[in-house]
Amino acid sequence: MSDPAAGRGLWRLSARLAALAAAAFLILGPLASLGVWSLAERWTYPSPWPQRFGFRYWSRMLTSDFLQPLQTGIGIAVAVTLVGLLFAVPLGYALARLRFPGRTVVLLAFLLPQAFPQLPVFASATREFYRWGLAGTVPGVILVHLVGGLVFAVWTMTAVFRSIAPELEEAAHNLGASVTRTFLTVSLPLAVPGIVASALLVFLYSLDEFTGTLLVGSPFVTTLPVYMYTASVGYELQIASVTALVLMAPGAVLLLLLERVLRAEYLVFFGQV
Amino acid sequence: MLALIFVWPLAASVVASFQRDGAWTLANYETVRRLYAGDVAYTVGVAGAGTVLTFAAAIPACGWLRLRAFGPVEFLLKIPLFVPFVVVGHALRVFWSPYVPGFASSWAGIASALAWKHVGLAALLLLGAFRALDESYLEAARQLGAGPARLTRDILVPMAGPALAVSAILIFSSMLASFSIPLMMGRGGGPQMLMIDVYYRFGQHGDFPTASALGVVAYLLAMGAALVYIRRLTR
Repeated sequence: MSDPAAGRGLWRLSARLAALAAAAFLILGPLASLGVWSLAERWTYPSPWPQRFGFRYWSRMLTSDFLQPLQTGIGIAVAVTLVGLLFAVPLGYALARLRFPGRTVVLLAFLLPQAFPQLPVFASATREFYRWGLAGTVPGVILVHLVGGLVFAVWTMTAVFRSIAPELEEAAHNLGASVTRTFLTVSLPLAVPGIVASALLVFLYSLDEFTGTLLVGSPFVTTLPVYMYTASVGYELQIASVTALVLMAPGAVLLLLLERVLRAEYLVFFGQV
Repeated sequence: MLALIFVWPLAASVVASFQRDGAWTLANYETVRRLYAGDVAYTVGVAGAGTVLTFAAAIPACGWLRLRAFGPVEFLLKIPLFVPFVVVGHALRVFWSPYVPGFASSWAGIASALAWKHVGLAALLLLGAFRALDESYLEAARQLGAGPARLTRDILVPMAGPALAVSAILIFSSMLASFSIPLMMGRGGGPQMLMIDVYYRFGQHGDFPTASALGVVAYLLAMGAALVYIRRLTR
């Protein structure tokens, strides 16, 4: 290794490997411990490793007290996604293309739930929902998920429509198409990949939402995050770990699709409105 | 619709924080001061520690990634973005509990879990800011023999200063308002995070006015941060 270039190459390679190892330990370590815990049938302090492994807790997944919250959560997430996009697609288009009075106000209104502590607001919403008979019901939970869901959907849809070249729409205009027709036949088809990405984000948000569900949904609506919290409060760490791994699965799929479906400009909605 | 589900309850909680038994009063804030002053300081401290920890990890990592692109590490750094808050709280709890019992519910445990979750967002924002910088400055410094550490410290960080400040504010106020992570990490004795107090005040004691007053304190803390954020955004 007397060649200095080769020496530097080796140094760089080992720096890379060291960085990779450090990042992998710090990021994957806690996630791996979920996996270990989910298989630990017996693990008492101070043993550094579970005394007995097994799939007992995974097999509990097939029982109804696990499947019920999963089903409820998916149902709620589908509803939130559909309603959210119904509002967000036209609104995102308007925010991206049209200059109308109050545009800044609308944009700021959609920043508010992101910038404000949500829990006290949801606590207050729960009280109002009691008055309207929505507390502890699925529609109540859907409504509370729509707060965050709409924020995500509107921001991504605005970014999506911004990324479509306005010249295409102008061309349609020049050929005599109306605003509505241009939107339906030019902008909307071009935005389909972005709409899919936005839908995935909103679906995932709703599936993972915890704070609002805990407050508004209790005690009748249980989704997986709430189920997981209940298990962890009862020191059923294994059950909670199995649930955590299941909850992570859709996010993992999204992460793997990241490059293909979620283009960077859709993700960087923070500070880009 | 957003107004109905967010702005209206927000306003209702602000009003309720100044009322008790139908009369206007500051008594709720007196209760907050008497019982929760320590928790407010604790929350600001934990959020501050968490923010420092996040950037202590994210700045060197992103600086290095900006100068020597390396996909696998960048991919790893983005993972926390896609892990739900509740899962993060639980994962960090069971990560520590077999080895350092009690650490998870301590201030350092909560700060480390918050940092773990927010490193993904910090990396996303910082890499964006670092990559937007012109290559020529880096090239000039490289000619003078600067290595990755110097380049990060003397060029990338100062030039991305505004973006760095905005992301720090965003992350700090998100940590102030964190609820699911401290909740999942368990309640040790001693001071609690502000949102945990709000939850128990509302849920366990059914004391909505005091819970709202605590909430207003949190709004004010977050608003200071949010104002700076919005100012930059609309400029």
